[in-house]
Amino acid sequence: MAAYAARRLAHSVLVLWGALTVIFIAIRVVPGDPALAILGPDASPADLSALRARLGLDRPIVIQYLEYLGRTVRLDLGNSIRLEAPVLGVIMERFPLTALLAFTAIVLAVGLSFPLGILAALKRHSVIDSAVSAFSLVGQSVPSFWLGIVLILIFARQLRLLPSAGAESWKHLILPSLTLALIFTGVLTRLVRSGMLEVLAEDYVRTAHAKGLAPRLVVIRHALPNMLIPVVTVIGLQLGHLLGGAVIIETVFGWPGIGRLLVDAIFHRDYPLVQGAVFFITAGFIIINLMVDLSYGYLDPRVRLSRND
Amino acid sequence: MQNLEDRLVSRRSFLCALLGLGLAGPLSGCLPVAGTSVQPARPTPVGPAGQLTVAMPFRVVAIDPHGAQGVERSTLTVARHIFDTLVFRDPFTGNYKPALAIEWSIPDQNTWVFTLRPDVRYHDGSRLTSADVKACIERVLALKGPPAPLWAALEAVETPDERTVRIRTRTPVGTMLANLALLYIAPASRVNAEGFFNNPVGTGPFKFVSWRRDAEIRLEANTNYWGEPPGVQTLVFKDIPEVAGRVTALETGEVDFTYGLPPDQLPALRRNPELELVSVASYTYYFVWFNHQRPPFNDVRVRKAMWHALDIATMARDLLKDVGKPAQAPIPETVFGFTPQAPYEYNPARARQLLREAGFPEGFETTMQWNPGSGPQDRELVQAMISYWNAIGVKVKSLEKERAQWLKDLLDLNWDLNFQTNSVQTGDADFTLRRLYHSGARRLGYANPNLDRLLDEAATTLDQRRRLDLYAQAQRILWEEAVGIFPFDLLEVYVFRKRLSGFVPEPSGIPNFRLVRVL
Repeated sequence: MAAYAARRLAHSVLVLWGALTVIFIAIRVVPGDPALAILGPDASPADLSALRARLGLDRPIVIQYLEYLGRTVRLDLGNSIRLEAPVLGVIMERFPLTALLAFTAIVLAVGLSFPLGILAALKRHSVIDSAVSAFSLVGQSVPSFWLGIVLILIFARQLRLLPSAGAESWKHLILPSLTLALIFTGVLTRLVRSGMLEVLAEDYVRTAHAKGLAPRLVVIRHALPNMLIPVVTVIGLQLGHLLGGAVIIETVFGWPGIGRLLVDAIFHRDYPLVQGAVFFITAGFIIINLMVDLSYGYLDPRVRLSRND
Repeated sequence: MQNLEDRLVSRRSFLCALLGLGLAGPLSGCLPVAGTSVQPARPTPVGPAGQLTVAMPFRVVAIDPHGAQGVERSTLTVARHIFDTLVFRDPFTGNYKPALAIEWSIPDQNTWVFTLRPDVRYHDGSRLTSADVKACIERVLALKGPPAPLWAALEAVETPDERTVRIRTRTPVGTMLANLALLYIAPASRVNAEGFFNNPVGTGPFKFVSWRRDAEIRLEANTNYWGEPPGVQTLVFKDIPEVAGRVTALETGEVDFTYGLPPDQLPALRRNPELELVSVASYTYYFVWFNHQRPPFNDVRVRKAMWHALDIATMARDLLKDVGKPAQAPIPETVFGFTPQAPYEYNPARARQLLREAGFPEGFETTMQWNPGSGPQDRELVQAMISYWNAIGVKVKSLEKERAQWLKDLLDLNWDLNFQTNSVQTGDADFTLRRLYHSGARRLGYANPNLDRLLDEAATTLDQRRRLDLYAQAQRILWEEAVGIFPFDLLEVYVFRKRLSGFVPEPSGIPNFRLVRVL
């Protein structure tokens, strides 16, 4: 297990380096000049060059790249050009809110899709199954901004039960997390349903039934654990995505998370902030994937055994 | 079997841990939860007495009015409540009135002397002195941001005593008072300290309390304010980027005041008995520039043809209802120096004739660059103009560009036509006309020595009547030579709950909440 973990860790470092390199190149390849974006159209050429020099943008690109890698290794993400504040501090202001939104959405989605998916699988071809399938298809298909606005109109404008925007209290968390959760529930319910259907047809499930185990226990002890690997993988991927900021939902609900920060930084060519945010998001993604990978060993001991081989 | 049980238990604990991870977030204090120090969401339609909550249509990037964000409306809206200026422009008369300066004189063409109001205190208790004014002007120049060019003619700022500021310039500056109305004063001892503007003190009617970036800025009334005391105890600027959320928040009373809404939202809001709409002609206008370095736009007949091809009145009525109207000059009517010009008639036949005379009987193909979001209905206006031009044989391809790229191309003169908005931040024609159309500005490849002379003279003339005359001549040249097309002036529409009183709209688009009261 330790060797496996070490291998995965080395792999993760490579992925992180790759992501950092790609973003370093990508942000510089797109047209647009950070000095111009900051000083505006009235700046003189001399002022623009002075700012470029201050930002280190006048040095050879290889030197900039090596310095950037060196600083990132030391976790020195530099200062945001536009916000004139340390990148790490700016990100840490927003990351807890993004994480809160992501985790809440995932918990809600898991809480909804497991019962729905299992129920649909157990009652295959029934009205319930059709209703759940329809629900999950709609959930997968509706655009998130549309669903968000509809929920605002219903719960904030009509019913006046919840606030429409902001991040001041737990009430502000409900609509954005529900929007994200409903959309993910669509995907996850289908996955749980098909996974259950597959497992329920296995011999050991028939055996469990044959030995007289209560149907509830057959599902919980024998079926459920055996369909978890693909489900946990998708949950992990989704969580990783959400930790990168749900830009659209953050915008619709005025949620001050990392997604809006990153998009704004890209528009204004704020290189250090873009690089810092991507580093942070990639690292989060990698850590979650690592946890998902390691979880396979717990979910299915055969995975652990085969790795030990 | 024992083995299997162990495995199940450990698997179950693992699942619990996974779920726990999800729940840990909400409970670990990432965000205040119910029962802690949070201010609960308000279910009632109006906020607590004495609080005014404003949702601006743009985010606040910085509160520093001297630097890179120094002409951004979001920055200036917050700044004008925390800080004061030496003088301010009366929104009704356009005259400059005393604020931190109680009087001023012009001993010679290149010298202005201001006397500061006695005993003005900053929010931290320290006293306003002439050194603060000097430090702030010098800071604007040192930061080289967008407000810096206003001070390009500065020779020196002298402070003979604590209450006297002497500003010496290399050439006469006709816009001195307009420039000073944008110069917010902060204490010299702290203004250059790192992070000062994240927790600023000013002399203004509101004290800074807190700023949660991209969420809200909170200010409290300054009870020791030297001027008329502010109308509300708490002033909150809340960031709600999405229009639907902003409108809903206004309707439910989560916010009291917003603006910058698209015109399609306005009819429903007008019918809402709890809301009031006020609109005012602004400093902002739309224009289409021709790249004069690229044929055929170096030919005035082609430029005029393209203007005659547009039915500006219909576009204004159908697309900009409530938020815009046909322009009468290259600068809006609200700006000092405005002189109305004769409108270009919508006349496709005349347009085709002009194209024929210019040697383009079949028309030609070209492109128009624009940056989405620069003004209301921009996409619709681009499409409408393109179809009007198509009718005279000019096929225009729309090139929609992201801001950083658009800006770079704009300054590199790498475009044919360019559609954009501009705001005359100082309220003085100089800000727009000399900054954009002087040949030294090299913005659209247009050079006219006669125009340069008029603009230079207007900038360096202290006699304001003479300046008006010079700007009238300059505008006639820009209009008659169709240097650009000037189709629409924009209105600012403010929407607020009726519990507000005392709001006076200003053309600057930087709303003033100093004297607004809530019931």
